Parts: sequence; C-alpha cells; structure tokens
Amino acid sequence: MAVKKGGKAVDVADDETPVPLQAILLADSFAQKFRPITLERPKVLLPLINIPMIDYTLEWLASAGVEEVFVFCCAHAKQITDYLGNSSWQTQPNFKVVPIESHDCVSAGEALRLIDERNVVRGDFILVSGDTVSNMSLKEVLQEHKERRKSDKLAVMTIVVKRSHASPVTHQTRLGNDELLLVIDPLTKELLHYDDGLLNNPNKARQVAVDRSLYLNKPSICLCTDLQDCYIDICSPEVLLLFTDNFDYQHLRRDFVKGILSDEISGNKIFTYELHGEYASRIDNLRSYDSVSKDIIHRWTYPIVPDIRFAGNNVGLKIERCNVYRENGVMLPRSARIGPSSVLGQGTSVDENCVISNSVIGRNCVIGRNVTIEGSYLWDNVTIHDNVTIQSAVICDGCVVRAGARVEPGTVLSFHVVIGQNFSVPSYSKISLIAQPTEEDSSDEELEYVEATSVTTESPQKLLEGEQQLTDITGSSPQMERNPPTVAWKESEVGPSGAGFKWFMRDESQEEEWRYSVAPIPAEKIEEMRLREEQAGVDDFDQDAGAVAEEEEEELDSVKKKRDFEREAEETFRRLFLDGVPEANVILEVKALRLGFNVEGSDCAAACFKSIINLALEEPFTKDSELFIIAKRLFSKWKAILRNYLTTEDDQVEVLLKFEEICSEPAGKAFAPIFCPVLRVLYDQELIFEDAILSWASEKQDAEEGDKIFLRQCEAFIKWLEEASEEDDDDDDDDDA
Amino acid sequence: MAEQARMKAYYEHRAGHRALPDSASSAVTNEWLAQAEAALANEEPALPSNGSSSFSVIQEFNIWRSNPELAESVAAIKALTAVIRRSEAATMMGLEKELKIASDALKAWDETSISLSAGCDLFMRYVTRTSALEYEDIEAGKARLIERGERFGDISLKARKTIAMIGQDFIRDGCTILIHGFSRVVLSILKLAAANKKQFSVICTEGRPDSTGVEMAKEMVELDVPVTLIIDSAVAYTMQSVDMLLIGADGVVESGGIINMIGTYQAAMIARSMNKPVYVAAESYKFARMYPLDQKDMSPSPRNVYFQKSLPSAVQVECSARDYTPPQYLTLLFTDLGVLTPSAVSDELIQLYL
Amino acid sequence: MARAMPELQLAISDFLLKLQRRQIEGSFDSAKHTVLLLRQVIVQHRASHSGQASSFIDAVKTVGARLVAASPIELAVGNVVRRVLHIIREEEVSIANNTEDEGETTFDSDDNNNSDDDGLPVLSAAVLAAANRNVLRAPSLHNLLESAVIPAVAIVSSSSAGDSEERSRSSEKNSKGWKLKHSIIEGINELLEDINNNHAQIAEQALEHIHQNEVILTLGHSRTLLQFLREAKKKRSFEVFVAEGAPRYLGHTLAKELAALNLQTTLITDSAVFAMMSRVDMVIIGAHAVMANGGVIAPTGLHMVALAARRHAVPFVVLAGMYKLCPLYPHNPYVLVNEMKSLSQILEHEESMEYIDAALNVPDLLAMNPSFDYIPPELVSLFITDMGGHNPSYIYRLVAEYYSPEDHSLE
Repeated sequence: MAVKKGGKAVDVADDETPVPLQAILLADSFAQKFRPITLERPKVLLPLINIPMIDYTLEWLASAGVEEVFVFCCAHAKQITDYLGNSSWQTQPNFKVVPIESHDCVSAGEALRLIDERNVVRGDFILVSGDTVSNMSLKEVLQEHKERRKSDKLAVMTIVVKRSHASPVTHQTRLGNDELLLVIDPLTKELLHYDDGLLNNPNKARQVAVDRSLYLNKPSICLCTDLQDCYIDICSPEVLLLFTDNFDYQHLRRDFVKGILSDEISGNKIFTYELHGEYASRIDNLRSYDSVSKDIIHRWTYPIVPDIRFAGNNVGLKIERCNVYRENGVMLPRSARIGPSSVLGQGTSVDENCVISNSVIGRNCVIGRNVTIEGSYLWDNVTIHDNVTIQSAVICDGCVVRAGARVEPGTVLSFHVVIGQNFSVPSYSKISLIAQPTEEDSSDEELEYVEATSVTTESPQKLLEGEQQLTDITGSSPQMERNPPTVAWKESEVGPSGAGFKWFMRDESQEEEWRYSVAPIPAEKIEEMRLREEQAGVDDFDQDAGAVAEEEEEELDSVKKKRDFEREAEETFRRLFLDGVPEANVILEVKALRLGFNVEGSDCAAACFKSIINLALEEPFTKDSELFIIAKRLFSKWKAILRNYLTTEDDQVEVLLKFEEICSEPAGKAFAPIFCPVLRVLYDQELIFEDAILSWASEKQDAEEGDKIFLRQCEAFIKWLEEASEEDDDDDDDDDA
Repeated sequence: MAEQARMKAYYEHRAGHRALPDSASSAVTNEWLAQAEAALANEEPALPSNGSSSFSVIQEFNIWRSNPELAESVAAIKALTAVIRRSEAATMMGLEKELKIASDALKAWDETSISLSAGCDLFMRYVTRTSALEYEDIEAGKARLIERGERFGDISLKARKTIAMIGQDFIRDGCTILIHGFSRVVLSILKLAAANKKQFSVICTEGRPDSTGVEMAKEMVELDVPVTLIIDSAVAYTMQSVDMLLIGADGVVESGGIINMIGTYQAAMIARSMNKPVYVAAESYKFARMYPLDQKDMSPSPRNVYFQKSLPSAVQVECSARDYTPPQYLTLLFTDLGVLTPSAVSDELIQLYL
Repeated sequence: MARAMPELQLAISDFLLKLQRRQIEGSFDSAKHTVLLLRQVIVQHRASHSGQASSFIDAVKTVGARLVAASPIELAVGNVVRRVLHIIREEEVSIANNTEDEGETTFDSDDNNNSDDDGLPVLSAAVLAAANRNVLRAPSLHNLLESAVIPAVAIVSSSSAGDSEERSRSSEKNSKGWKLKHSIIEGINELLEDINNNHAQIAEQALEHIHQNEVILTLGHSRTLLQFLREAKKKRSFEVFVAEGAPRYLGHTLAKELAALNLQTTLITDSAVFAMMSRVDMVIIGAHAVMANGGVIAPTGLHMVALAARRHAVPFVVLAGMYKLCPLYPHNPYVLVNEMKSLSQILEHEESMEYIDAALNVPDLLAMNPSFDYIPPELVSLFITDMGGHNPSYIYRLVAEYYSPEDHSLE
C-alpha cells in the first residue's frame, strides 16, 4: 500500500525534492487531560472554534508543503478514520492522509515503533500531535536540519521552541504547561538538557542541577526558562530506529529526549529551532484549549483564522468589530450584546438581552433570554434556557442547561448532560453521562486507551455512540430516550431532572484542578502562590542563589541541608542570647537539629559563632574599636556555650573559615578591619587554639591572592604563634628529655 | 368656475394622494385648500383649449393616482394608455399627435410635478420610437403600445424591488440612517433591510409642512425599527450620529442633481460637510429632461405652510414645496438601472433623448 | 454542467487552496492565474448543444464563485471572472448576428414560429438584431420599456433554433459551437495579453505625466509604479520620495530598486508624509483595486497620503491595470473589503502575552493589522490604466463597457 502511494506521490512531487515530505501525526495524546470528554470522542476531533483540532494541524501541514501524513489513531480509531474518510482531505491535490490504526498502543513510543515496523517513512519527517495549531513555515527549519545532517549524521532531531514567559507566580506558561528549563549551546543550538520537572515541588526553592560534562568543552551555554516546547519535531529516520532499539522509550520527551541526551555512547544530538513571528502551540490541556482559542480569535494564527476558508472550515465567518466572528445568517436581537472576541456559529439563535463575551458558541445552539456567557466554549446543538449564567466552562454537544441555572468557572459538561432548573454547578465540576470508573488505573495517568477498553466504560460508551449519531440527526432532546429509567442521576449533582454523573478527581490532582482548567486562575490562588513565592524568595536571598545552578547534585543537597540547619541553629542561639532561654535547653535543641539535619559538630560551632557576630553587629557602633569592644564583651560572655562546640581542631578551623566568610559578606564587612584583633580575643579566651590557627594559615597558604586578605592581616600574629609553638616544642622536647 | 373646480379637484387629489390618515390633518388640508385656491386664483394656467380630450385624460390620471401604490409617473402613463385605447386615429402619426396633445395637457395640469412630466416624456419617447420602427398595421402598433403601457405598472413595481435589493446592501448592522421626506422607494429599501434582519435605526425629519416624517416614523414602528423624529432644523444637530442620509426624489435632473421635498438641499449639504454619504433612491422613470442651475429655475410648487401663531398679513411666506440639490452633494443614486454616480445620470438621459 | 476532467478539478482545487492559504497574493498574480484557469475551464468544457453560451457561463460562474469565496479580498479574481463572462456573452451575440446574415431564411422561419406562439407582431431581422445588441447593454432608460420582451424573443429564437435543428443540422451546430468556443478562447487570450502587458502599457504614458525635475512621492511597493518610473527615467530626471509603508515595509524594497535605476530616491517614514508633501509635485501610487464609483482600495496608509496631497493641492495619481477595475460599489469599505492580517507583523506574540488580564485570561495588549485603505473618489485626481487616463467620475463608464450587469453578482 505504501509503495503504491509513494509512487504516486513522486509523480506530483515538486521537482526539487524527490522524496515527498512526510509527517507523522499522533492522533492520540496518550493522556487523560480532557476526560471525561475524551471517553466519547477522541481529543483531535474536539472542536476548536467549531472546527476539529486535527483540521488545524492538517491544514498547517498541507500549506507548509507536507505531502503525506500518517495519522496514527488509537483510542476511538474508528471515529477518526471515519472523519478523515469523509473529509475534504481525501480530495486535496498533492496531499495524502494515511490513517494507521492500532488498538493496543499505550504510548507515543509504541506508536512510533509500530510505524517503524510498517516501513513507510523514507526520509526526514515531521512529528507532531493532532492538537497542534501553527502557521509556521517549515522551509527554514527543514533547511537547517538538512544542512546540519550533512555535516553531522548524529543530529537526529530538531525540536521547535518558541519564546514564552512562564508566570513568575504559578511557574506555568499560558498554555498550562509547567515551566521548562532548556540548556542550549547558543552557537550550535544544540540541546544539552531538557527539564520539565521544575514545578514538581512548589514548596522547595527551585534549583537545577546541570552536569558539568555538558559545558566542559563549550565556550558558553545558555540556560533558558523562557522557551516553550511546541512539540513540533523534525526527525531523521533514525528516530524511529532509536525507538525500536530502546523498547522502553514511551514518552517523547520524558523518555526519548532525556534518553538521547544522557546517552553519551551513541552520541546522538538534538537541536532546537526558535520560532520568530510565527505561531505554534499545542493543546495539551483545557487551559491551552482556552489560550489557543483566544490566539486564533485574535488572529495570531493567520491565515488559519475563522474568516478564511480552509479545509474543514468551509463556512467562512465574517469578522466584525472587536474580533466578533459571526456566521452569515446568525440572527441577533437588538438587545443582545455580543462582547469582544467571540464566535457565533451557523444556525445559532440568541434571544433578547443576552450578554456573550470572550466565548465561542458552536453551531445550531439555542440560547434563551437574559443569558450571560463569559469566557466559555459551547459546542454544537447546545440548548441554554432563560436566565442562565455560564462562566468559563466547556459545554459539549447536545447539553441542556435549564432555566435559572448557574455554571461556575472551570466546569466541564460532557456530551448530552442536562443541568436542572436553578441548579448551580460548582466550580471545576466535571459531569458526564458516563459514570466514573470505580477503580482508577493506578499505573500512571498516561492511558486514555486502557480505560476506553475496560469493561466498565465500554458498554455505555458504545450505547452512547450509536444514539449520539441518531440524536445528532434528529436534534431532539436526547437524554430522555437514551437514559433507561433505571439510571438514577443524583439531584445533588445535576439538579432536578438533570442527567449526568459528577466525576471526582483523584486526591492529588483535585487541588491542582485550577491549573489546567479553562477558567482563569482565580485571584486568591495567585495571591496564595505569590505569598509562597515571596517566602521562598526571602530564603533564597540569604543564600547565594546565583551560584547554585551549576553544582553537582549530591553536593547540592548537602549544601542546602547545611544552610537550612544553619538558619535553624542560629535562630535557636539567638533565643538563648536575647530571650534568656536556659542554656541546657538550647544545647539540647541544637543537638536535635544536628541529628535531624545530619550535620557535623563543626556546623553547630559555625552557627553559634555566626549568631554571636550577628548579635555584635546589631549593637550600635561608630568605630571599629567600638565594635571590637562589643565583640570582645560578647565573646567573653558566651564563651562557655561556644566552647561546647569547639572541641576539636576541625571545629575551630571551621569557625575561622566561617569568620572569614562573614567578613567578606556585605553584612559582616564591619568585622573585616578587626579580623586580627578578634582572632586574638578568641585565642586569648581559649576558644581557638594555636594549632587550629596554624593549620588554617597553612591551608590558606595555597589560596588565591584575593582569599588571603585576612591571612595577611594576621601575618604578625601567626608568626608570633609559630615562634611560640616552636618554643613550646622545644619546651616539650626539653620536658621529654 | 370650471377653473375653480379643477383646482379643487387637483388639491383634493393631492391631499388624498399624500394619504394623511387622521381627521385632524385632513381638516388642516381642507383649510389650506381654500388658501391655495386663493393663492392661485390670479395665476393663469397654461392649459391648451381642446377641453374635452384633456379633461378625460386628467380624470383618468386622477383615478390611477388615487391608488397609493402607484407613483405619479405610472399614473400618467396609464392615463396616456387609456388615450390610445380610446383613440380613433387611422395612422400612427395621427395617434402620436393625439398622444402629444394629451401628454401636454397632463403636464400642464400640474406643471410642478416632475415625475408626472418625466413619465409623460418617457412614454412619448417610446411612442415615437415605436412608430419609427414602421408598424404598418396601426392596430398592431396600438396593441403593442397599450400592452407596454399596461405593463408599466409592473415595471414600476419591479423597479422598486430592484432598488430595494441594491439599496439594502448599503445598510449594515448598527448603522443610523437619516431620512428626509416620505418616499415609497426608500421605504421599500428599509422594509427589505428589516426583513433581512439588519439592525439599523432611523432618524426621520418632521418634514414640514406635510409632516411626511411622521408617516415614515409610523412605518418604521411597524417594521420594528427604532426611530427618532426630529424637527427639520435639527438636522445639523443630529448629523454627527448619522451614518448616511437616504432620500427619495421627485425627479432626477440631467445634471445628476435631484429635485425633492424642501429641506433636502440643506440636509445633503450638512451631510456632505460632515463627510456622510448621501444616497438617493429613485426609479429611472423619474429621470427628467431638466437642467436647473439654481433653485429659481424650477417652476414653483407652492404648498401651504401652517404657522402656529397667526401672522400679520404683511408677512410674506415662502411656501415652495421642493428644492433642487446639485449633484456635488450626492454620493450615489440607487436606481433600477443599478447604482449610479450622479454623473452617470446625464449619460442615461443623453442616450435616451439624443 | 458537463463532467469536468479530473485534471481540471485538480487544477481548480490547487488554485483554490493557494488562494485560501494566501500563497497567491496580489492582484496581478491572482488575476493571471484566474485567467489561465478559466481558459482551461472553457477548453475542457463540453457544452450541450442547446444553450451553448449559457452552459459556458454557468461553468465559469460556478468556478468563479468558488474562487471569489476562497479569497474575497483579491478583488481581481472576481473582476477577471466577470470579464470572461462578458467575453462569452459578447461572442454569443456576435455569432448569433453572423448566422442571421448568413442564413436569413431559416432564421426567419424560426422567428415566425415563435412570434405566432407568443402572439406577438412579426419582427424583422433588423429589429431582432437591434434587440440582440440590447441584450448586452446595461438596463437603461433607453430600453426600460422594451427590456421585458425583446430579450425574451432573442433567447427564444436562439434556443429554439437549436432545438429544432438539433438533429438535422447537428454538424453545422457543432461547427457553430466550435466557433463560439474558439472565439471565447481567443477573447480570453486577449484578456491574458492585456493583463500581461498592462504594466508596459501604463508605463508608456509615463512621459506625459512626469516632467523634468519633478518630485514624486509614493508609499509602499507597486510593480506597476516601478515600471512607470523606470520608463520616465529614460527621458527625464526627477526625484522620488518613498514612504516605507509600515508594517510590511515594502517601501524599502522599492527605494532600493529605484536607486538601482540611478533615480535619486529618498526614503521617509510614513509619518513624515505630511511634512514632506509641500515639496512634492505629484503623488503616484499603485492600487489594489478600483471600485465602480472611482474609489480606490490600496495598501494601508494611502488614504492618509491622499489627504495630505489634497491639503497641499498635489495631484494624486493612481495607476491601475484594467483588471483591477471592480464593478462593485464599496458598501462598507471599512469592514467588508479588508482583511486583518497577522498581528505578528506589528507585535511579537510573547510581548502581547506579558500583558494578560488575569481575570479573563485575555491579553490587554493586542494589535490590528488591516491590509487596505479605502480612498474616496474625490481625493483621486487621475487614474492611469492601460486604456489611458481617466477621471474618477468616468470609471462607471469603463465598468459599463467591460462588464455585463447580470454578472455583478456571481451567485
């Protein structure tokens, strides 16, 4: 089959490219972000501004010169192949859409292995998913990829990235993706590191570990957190082989990209291509569904916009003021206010006094009087009765919202759900006619497909699909005939005479529901996040945040631990010094901390020392001599407790190093001129012994010039000590003798 | 006295034609009828003396004109058709001569009506051309002329429909249209636009002295179109919020300008000075062979002007019912020949009469 | 419609897609492609015997309507479709007239039949010929009273001729059909030639308009204008100010092209147009389309230039090939005959996304990028087309000459 098609494609291909440009389109996201909607219809067929998503992707590929697209369908494969079979893509010249069906693939990796088996891909190909909206021209990126391949056979893949700032508060891009860290060689654009897990624990300070080997041979590397992965990959045929060879690769990014980057033996490389002035986004979750819809309405995706016809969009809407798109023949009463950035589909009727803003209304919807719709997505054949308020919701085909009901932000009403009169649907509800499967697949969130085949969901689904088609044609209210009387919808979930089951989110995700819903992030959530961020920001300030980035991971952990300990211990000591907490209690507490953080005694000494220094700095002084007097007084006052921690030479050296560190910091600068006198005090108070000072001095001997300021300052003192110790030695010798 | 009766009949018909519905205004009509008669008493109408035939054609004309759906020029053509039917002329030449007399009589009966004379001219032109095509058989020629004349009513209706189709394209959602005077063509445009669910609003001038704006406003209410009635002197005041001026025309003259109800000139001037388009809707049979250079070039068509306060008799009242709007104030004309620029009008007229 | 060849369908849908995807842009390219495609349509069209011309017209209209819908903004596409329709109508009439002359007897007999059926007086051939001539003309006062009947006679006569003779004289009919097709294709070829030569023909008039040491101002880029100035440069020396034409900045391209011709060229910003206008002798621009009322559709910024020119009483000259002449009136030029292009020519996507309104998830900073300005006819001093120079008020005459009114709407 493929050969025959290939032959044909060559006939019509451009004269310059003998091999037709091919693309693999994954029509299955292998994820569950759109559930429960995706139980009934595959994600790529969900309407985006009234046109199935897959049409946007195909239109872009076709206009960018792709000649053959392999559409890989898995979940609901039949629906997709049926759709494609009846679509205008079949008749388009120089463009071939070849569906590849599978029923047991559970990941992108498996899909690619299957395609590799079929042996249909003959050259460089473009790998995208069926939910990509873009208007980028592929010419340049393909050119770059080919050039690179000529000189470097190991450059197997080029991924397209686009500049996009994540919100500083939620660490989430506008598309609802987590903040992404890419390490890129700015000269070659080679991707060195890919990290999308920055957000894993929002409570922790955000830190990154980069392997030193990454930058050893590079003049510079670039750490970018302002890039967004467009999930558009230009791949060489080797990519398929790599998937076949590494049969444990499942996820394109988590497994494949990371795998390639960490595999130094084979040396395969991935490069990046940054988009400028063109648009590319992938609809991964409901938030990106909202954002991309708005981008389309605002015409970032020109010429793929609702008022220009393209395959799948053969109606052609008219654009009016304020980005309102209206199908010819949509009648509006004078009193209806259609606000900015809205779309009204064919055959939709809107009654008096409706207010619609920032919303997309599908085809053949009926909207009653005094209805307010804001920031919402109504698909086809939706019926909204009078006095309904809908905010930031997704309402699928055939839903009915009865009079006076309210739909709160973030709600998803799946196909043919009915909301009863005057019922208020709480925020972030998900309601479907299909009951939530009782036992969740605990393996992972991955698989749309596994669920779909499990017995619990399949039978109602089949039932629905059949009837859905039927009701789509007749257009009569569906749920009445459909629902066997035995099914009891709960009035508490859908209101009086409503229809649908409420879905409850799994515990972990429930809290985070707001992150990925269509509703804008509520102000209080942002405030909450900001407070948390500020907290973290204060912590970061103490530490040298800039230096953190390029340290090795294990080291990093201990440094961090130490720092935390230090802070805690300092606090404890302060309480002793200022609030007069009994000494014994403090010692006990510090001991507990020490065990808790698993640090050494020397750290306790340093912490104690630092709190005394801080104490000294808090007292008023004008001259160095005054500060010296204060310090001297404090050290003599608290020498007992400090001595507790200075039992070994190491502890003492540690304190010295700490002292040096404090003096070189801006906060402790005042101590720099009196470093030597203070050291003298410590020596005199028998807190630090001469051995410790000498070993510190010898350790410092080899340091850089800048690090030896304090050593210089103490030169006389050390010399004196050395002489003294020699005398001691002599004395000892004498004694021995 | 026959003169008097004729005048009375004329004004009664005129009043009837305007179709002022309520009794209050008809009372006014009767009142000013007397005044008009008095005003015109000393003016000698230029009526040809062959009374019997002229009287019949005028009667015929008045019968047709009482039908509110028919424009004046249509009525004129119907009346002329009746003349043909009654004619006993043996040759085409004879018939033509007879018609000429009748048409002159008609024109003279109401010199002020542009559409009447335009209709007469148009039909006469057609008669001349038909006879030039050498119909040997007078009966066949007559039949043909009658047939055309009969169908002219349909043509007129069709013309109105065409104009409505053309004109409604120019009405877009959310626009505000200023209307001066009552015009069946304008109304048909608005009716069609409203039927197509266009959302527009209308501002009507009062249209003194006949209160034509009130009529228009009533029609708008029936169409469920929001309407505002303003006094004639508020045109400049409201022009800011207006998107276009839409007017009918009594006649379209060779320069491409129009003759229409008094006040049109000033409204068009204001619209033009504020860069608002001025659209004229007029059937092509209203194109008249006239070339007025200024207002005084038109024969006056006095209309009673009613003032609320009684006037000292020494005060002269300007009571012209029409004015001439020069072409430079008009943007486009919607006619059954298509959308025309004012300069295209003279082309059409030259084509016909040269 | 007869079954069209799959090859033709392929060509049509290929062109449609290119229009939809805005891969073919600009009036010249789209007009030329349209003519080539329509010629193919005519060549491959197999008309049934009766009503030959009308079947051609139907075929062209069907394709034409699709093309116009694909990219309504390219008015030239619609113009060319209407021109082709006009050619078909014209050829039909001229062929009908020729047959009358050749075989008057047969025609008369046909005519008698019709007339008897309709109960109409006998019409001589001369009348019919006159009527046929009228078929093409726009409705006018001239034929107001006749229009209802005579075209009917004409149509009846031509079609009945076909019906009655179909069997007996099919060979002759075929040759007649072939003749019609042939002359239509010839007409289309002429049109194509006109389109191809329009730049040159407009440029030929350059010397009449540009004088020694004049200062010309323009905005953006136009192929016609480039040739026009190149032609003038051969005999005259003059200076050109080019406004850059944001956001596409095609003025930069034009300025460089002109400088390459050794023309003294000055690049100015769009906002400097008014400031520079006092030193300018003439503004010359290329149009995107010319509407029936003499209004001009041109790239954004040109209305401003026209107003500046009017303020300083500088002649504003518009160059436009005849295929840019559109028989439609601008009902609503600000909305209908325009297209909002991508914002990214003005604003980077990520820039806009920095100003998101958190409560609505809508960026507060957006851009508008309309393609065209509408310049009202009163601001235009002169049109220069391949047919010569015209006053804006004369444009309707050209429209009447090149288009049949029944084609104004392609539905």
